[in-house]
Amino acid sequence: MGIKGIKENFREIFWGILIVFILALLGILNQWIIAGNSTLFWKNLFWHLAGFTILIFLTFLVDYRKIPVQIIWYIYLVLLFVLFISFILKKRWLSLGFVVFQPSEFVKPVLVLLISLIASKEPNPYLKIRTLVKLLAIIIIPLVLILPVDLDYAFIMMVMFVSFLFFIGIPKRIIIAFGLIGLIVGLVVCPVFWKNLKPHQKGRIYGYLNPEKYAKTWGYQLNQALIAIGSGGFWGYGFKKGWSTRLNYLPAKHTDLAFAVWAETWGFVGVSLVLLLYGYLLYLCIKISYIAKDWLGKYLSLGVALVLFWQAMFNIGGCAGLLPMTSIPFPFLSYGGSITISAYILLSLSFNTALKRHFFK
Amino acid sequence: MKRFDPNDFLIRDFFKTKQKILKGIFWEKRLFWAKFLIIFSLAILWFRFFYLQVVKYSYYYKKAKERSVVSYVIKAPRGEIVTSDGVIVATNRAVFQLYLDPELIKDREDAVLYKLSKILKEDFGILKERYYLAKKSFLGRVLIKRNLNWDEVAKIMVRRYYLPGVKVEVEAERYYPYGDMYFHLIGYISKITMKEYKELKEKGYSMEDYIGRAGIEKEFEKELKGKNGAIEIERDAYGRLGKVINRISPVPGNDLVLTVNHNLQVKAYELMKEKNGALVALSPQDGSVLAMVSSPSINPQKFIDGFTKEEWKRINQNPDNPFLNRVLQPYPPGSTYKVITAIAGLEAGVIKNVNDTVFCSGYYKFKNRIFRCWKPEGHKSVNLIKAIAYSCDVYFYTVASKLDIDYLAEVSRKWGLGKPTGLGWSEEKSGFVPDRAWKEKTFKEPWYPGETIIIGIGQGYLLATPLQMARVYMAIANGGYLYKPYVVKKIKRVNGNVIEIAPQIEKHLILNSRYLEWIREGLLEAVRIGTGRGAFIPGLLVSGKTGTAQVVSLSAKTKKDKSLEHHAWFVSYAGWSQPQIVSAILVEHGGHGGAVAAPIAQKLYKTYFGIEEPKKNITKLPE
Repeated sequence: MGIKGIKENFREIFWGILIVFILALLGILNQWIIAGNSTLFWKNLFWHLAGFTILIFLTFLVDYRKIPVQIIWYIYLVLLFVLFISFILKKRWLSLGFVVFQPSEFVKPVLVLLISLIASKEPNPYLKIRTLVKLLAIIIIPLVLILPVDLDYAFIMMVMFVSFLFFIGIPKRIIIAFGLIGLIVGLVVCPVFWKNLKPHQKGRIYGYLNPEKYAKTWGYQLNQALIAIGSGGFWGYGFKKGWSTRLNYLPAKHTDLAFAVWAETWGFVGVSLVLLLYGYLLYLCIKISYIAKDWLGKYLSLGVALVLFWQAMFNIGGCAGLLPMTSIPFPFLSYGGSITISAYILLSLSFNTALKRHFFK
Repeated sequence: MKRFDPNDFLIRDFFKTKQKILKGIFWEKRLFWAKFLIIFSLAILWFRFFYLQVVKYSYYYKKAKERSVVSYVIKAPRGEIVTSDGVIVATNRAVFQLYLDPELIKDREDAVLYKLSKILKEDFGILKERYYLAKKSFLGRVLIKRNLNWDEVAKIMVRRYYLPGVKVEVEAERYYPYGDMYFHLIGYISKITMKEYKELKEKGYSMEDYIGRAGIEKEFEKELKGKNGAIEIERDAYGRLGKVINRISPVPGNDLVLTVNHNLQVKAYELMKEKNGALVALSPQDGSVLAMVSSPSINPQKFIDGFTKEEWKRINQNPDNPFLNRVLQPYPPGSTYKVITAIAGLEAGVIKNVNDTVFCSGYYKFKNRIFRCWKPEGHKSVNLIKAIAYSCDVYFYTVASKLDIDYLAEVSRKWGLGKPTGLGWSEEKSGFVPDRAWKEKTFKEPWYPGETIIIGIGQGYLLATPLQMARVYMAIANGGYLYKPYVVKKIKRVNGNVIEIAPQIEKHLILNSRYLEWIREGLLEAVRIGTGRGAFIPGLLVSGKTGTAQVVSLSAKTKKDKSLEHHAWFVSYAGWSQPQIVSAILVEHGGHGGAVAAPIAQKLYKTYFGIEEPKKNITKLPE
């Protein structure tokens, strides 16, 4: 391997890490706009530093091919246990005394790994039914535990991993059968489900359907987000000038509506920049999936792309009024220890795949 | 036991390889679709943001501003109005206004209002009602009380901490130092209505603005208004006010200098005070208005300070309608019109010589109809000068009977009757000059010659405003120059620029100078020895014509049993070669012009020329 070869080999990782670095900087800037010189900002900075360290460590010092399945299973079981505790306590966040974390965030990397590990053993273009059922069970068990504490996230993760399975390969007849069953069950279950929704959850749907009418109640969050985004205009208000952010009109501006803060401050130009960077990152993941040398790597990288894609889609789509408002954070721009670390771990899986493909004989 | 077949390996290998290849191909396809899904979704997001931030930017920016910026209007002080001799007749005074911001006292409105009611010594219920009524129509803050006195201001400022949302502000408010005296000339202003606000919002009017309703305040609204300023203050989600982000200073309105003479106006007001009627004085040299009074009058300050219920009822239900500017309202001109008949007669050659006489035996007979002179025993033999001086009806019946109505109408219009005078006020009425075409159109009847005879002495369908009659006499006084009357001679801009308004001539009437001489002599004789003796001033050449307009003729149906007394007219000018003032005086249902209106003119001219009022009474006049 000459210098040229090394350059070629490291191209994806170089660009990937550069973009992650820029996004992290933008995220830190965004939290500075929101929180200023407060503990929240410094904590966020710490999470990014820690996450970046983990990213470098996992990318360069670990080999995904040598991950023992048993350890992942153990981690999965521990995670189930933690989720069970949060299920019993009815708490979305668990406190360890020195740190508060959201166990549901860590479901994503673990499930991506586990699904990829199991599915990559299959030699066929379509999954066997037995494997499919096994995978579905693996997905559904943690989601059921999340469901009562975090309905939105459970639903979104369902979308993430079902779409992942879909791309891994579900036989057509199963899709049709599931589609039909889903339709019938949906028609029966929906009204019951609707009745059992909490008022604030129903309100989100009302607010989504008509943000102006419910501007003072259910649509408040969306309405304020739309005003913040729209009034940003092409160039934005500028650093720390946005009315919605500064005058506290945006609720949950650190987390759920962090992207609205960004859109207000930097306008359409800033939005385009973040969408471009984020889109390129997803594109890189798919490209890595394309060039990976083994099925585990291909699956892992696509899983990462899909998880990050849906995460962004539901967050940004929610605050732009395209999708119902959900309380999920946007990677990098939103505040949150768990989401930040989890995003870095996910990306390291993909980058590691890219790096290790040169080590195949 | 199954027998070993080497081909089995091959087949199994083949299938395995086939599956592997298929899996690779499928995976490439799926990755393509994954890429497609991601790019497509992000493109939709991008377009959505383009729509929100670029297409709908102004919509959302407006919403954001409405939500997070409170804008307080700083009212521009209205321009001042000054008379030609430098007396300020409309100005602004500083007053303390008490405002409440409903946003800041959302949940404790009652508590704050209760405290305020204690300080202002007002009934809590009334205050509360007023607040809730005002809250509906105001955006932003609500005006609770105007014109606070020092005591109240001090009390509120001391308790400011316990009165959130309460604000005392100094504002300029309209002030009319002379009240009733200038009501119809200057007009008045009142609060802008919701409907007007919606229309005028773009022109910079605010909800709390006043707008001119009549007279100069209305006609010169654009000049007087000025430009409101504003203070924009940030407000956060909890309703707390933050820093000032924008301050636009108001631009005061332009000041107006009137052509009106203050002393004359005050005198005119005093003379007309107890009567219903109108007085207008013009300068024959340029058509400028020297005084304009209509009676009864209203104090315009009341539109700012507020009327009590009884006062408002009295004004609104007054049958005399004090809102009307009678100077601009049409009346039958009566004998004051006779000069037009005379001019028409002279120009048409009906009166060939000043000494042509007509014998007045007290009546005039025309086709079995008898037209009576106002003097039953008759004026005996009268020539033109005597006829004008004594206002002999028979003489003018004779002249009119020989004139064609269309010609008389033409001459009338030439002298400015039947159309607006050019003052340019929307309140002004045109009066009316009848002719053949009109009669046929309206009544489907031909014009009868007898009707021309009636018109000849200013009765019948004829209607003229006092301003129009003053203009006719102005043209007689200055040798035929028919000026457009005007009230404002200078507009002073805030930056110091002064715009002078020049007099405008509508037209120069060419009349044979001999004819004009005769008519002027007749008018002079009328005041010296004739019907207008009430206006005689020793040492001053006053010329004028009385008029006694019969109210019954045209408007008999509408007047019903109201006073059937005639309207008294006196239109005159003072000075001979270069008259300085011309005036038209009308007293509704006053009786005879010579007895009622002429003395008013006399007093008016004495004031204008600074002649001392004589102590002795003027000899009693006939009629």
